[in-house]
Amino acid sequence: MAEDLVLDTAIRDWVLIPLSVVMVLIGILRYFVSKLMRSFQVPDHKIVKEGQVIVRARNLRAAANFIPPKSFRSRRVYFSNEENGLLFVPKGQAQNAQAQMFSDPNMAMDMMKKNLSMIIPQTLTFAWVNFFFSGFVAAKIPFPLTQRFRSMLQNGIDLSTVDVSYVSSRSWYFLNLFGLRGLFSLILGEENATDDTQRMMQMSGFGFDPSKSLGAEKDGLDIVQHEWALPKFEHRAEAVLKKIVS
Amino acid sequence: MVSKTEETQLNRLENQVDNGGGGAWEYLCLARKLKVRRPEKVLKYGLSILNDSKKRSALGPEEWTLYEQVAIAAMDCQCLDVAKDCIKVLRKKFPESKRVGRLEGMLLEAKGLWGEAEKAYSSLSEDNPLDQVIHKRRVAMAKAQGNISAAIEWLNKYLEIFMADHDAWRELAEIYVSLQMYKQAAFCYEELILSQPTVPLYHLAYADVLYTLGGLENLQTAKKYYASTIDLTGGKNTRALLGICLCTSAIGQVSKGRNKEDKESPELQSLAAKALEKDYKERADDKHGLLTCVLRSLKI
Repeated sequence: MAEDLVLDTAIRDWVLIPLSVVMVLIGILRYFVSKLMRSFQVPDHKIVKEGQVIVRARNLRAAANFIPPKSFRSRRVYFSNEENGLLFVPKGQAQNAQAQMFSDPNMAMDMMKKNLSMIIPQTLTFAWVNFFFSGFVAAKIPFPLTQRFRSMLQNGIDLSTVDVSYVSSRSWYFLNLFGLRGLFSLILGEENATDDTQRMMQMSGFGFDPSKSLGAEKDGLDIVQHEWALPKFEHRAEAVLKKIVS
Repeated sequence: MVSKTEETQLNRLENQVDNGGGGAWEYLCLARKLKVRRPEKVLKYGLSILNDSKKRSALGPEEWTLYEQVAIAAMDCQCLDVAKDCIKVLRKKFPESKRVGRLEGMLLEAKGLWGEAEKAYSSLSEDNPLDQVIHKRRVAMAKAQGNISAAIEWLNKYLEIFMADHDAWRELAEIYVSLQMYKQAAFCYEELILSQPTVPLYHLAYADVLYTLGGLENLQTAKKYYASTIDLTGGKNTRALLGICLCTSAIGQVSKGRNKEDKESPELQSLAAKALEKDYKERADDKHGLLTCVLRSLKI
């Protein structure tokens, strides 16, 4: 049954717009607070070196066809040699990185600070939205949805016959949460701390694990087949010169 | 490396500022971003901004970056008292800063007091072992003192940690070439080609080194790299064209009597010669006679 509910414009004025404005303001506030609280983390010697090794190995993989086969092979051995190759990480060390990250007090403090600055405002805003803006239909989503979304989007509304496209203000809050990221990067410039979604994605693939990426690079390097591209260039040079001379 | 558009932009700004139009601050910002070395201009315009207190306060927090830039330019032009003043101002504002410490080390270097500069740098690098600039200053000092082997040592140590820094590889390659250690120089140029395969400069330099090393295999590889340079520059690089002619004739000499495997590109040499002649006719007609003599002597 698709009956058309007419929503009061007062909803738009007093719910949707204030909610968006409040979220923008909170985001800006968090940005400045995070700037104040940012501590300078001294990069670890080993981590920097590993980062650079990875870049170099990646370059080798990408441009392998431009250097003579002998040099490529010697470089490959240098990187993935069993005993002292740069990319080779013995099995025992692989676990250490994560444990180290937990036990290192500095890093733990840093992560806690970042998490806090993300979780607390979200929780507070969510509670505020629930308290003030629940129990009524706030907006209509322009496309039809299945019944599954009802529990998620229509939380305060206890009528089961209302079309799922009519949602409560909680869903407007979530929409803003993910959608304002673009707006923030316009106002605050790049690299702002309000990038929650990115941080959430990062948390699931936990932290900087150098040994895994080294292993991945080594595998990639082992796979590469060297096909020297230079002889092709001679023909191309001929073609170029022919065009010039003629 | 600076791209063509950036270069034209820089030159345009430079002309504009030279001829009295405004835009000195944009010019200084662009020079800082592109890391080009224009010490006289930076010094002149930077000082004009800094000495004018109204313009100086208009800069806000960027004022200190400008002080740093002007200090370095002054040291380049050997105006050491200007540099000392700038550094003094910076030191007053940022008393504990490592960046200012670096500048003071550079001033000692500019004055020629190598021992004290070395002491300053080692104390700074103890606090901050991963500072790239301090490492590079050490290499520069060793080179300026004429101690090339120490420069190589420092540079190798630097590259062990920061092996993705292609400027450092380039510097090392040039040092090796100056010492005639061509095999090591070839290695460095290979690193450069790996990191930036579309820059024809590196192909050309690599081909030069290979040609100098000699030997049939190296000559053939050198010929291929000269060809790739021609391809990447659209045939406009005179050095690569000459390189092809020289390589082909050298290969012919080395493999005299053996089966010549010229099935890959038989016409390359003649085409290169023709392109060279055309180029010389257009641009340097008086030297054209020289060219024809050289080419004739090569076509053995």
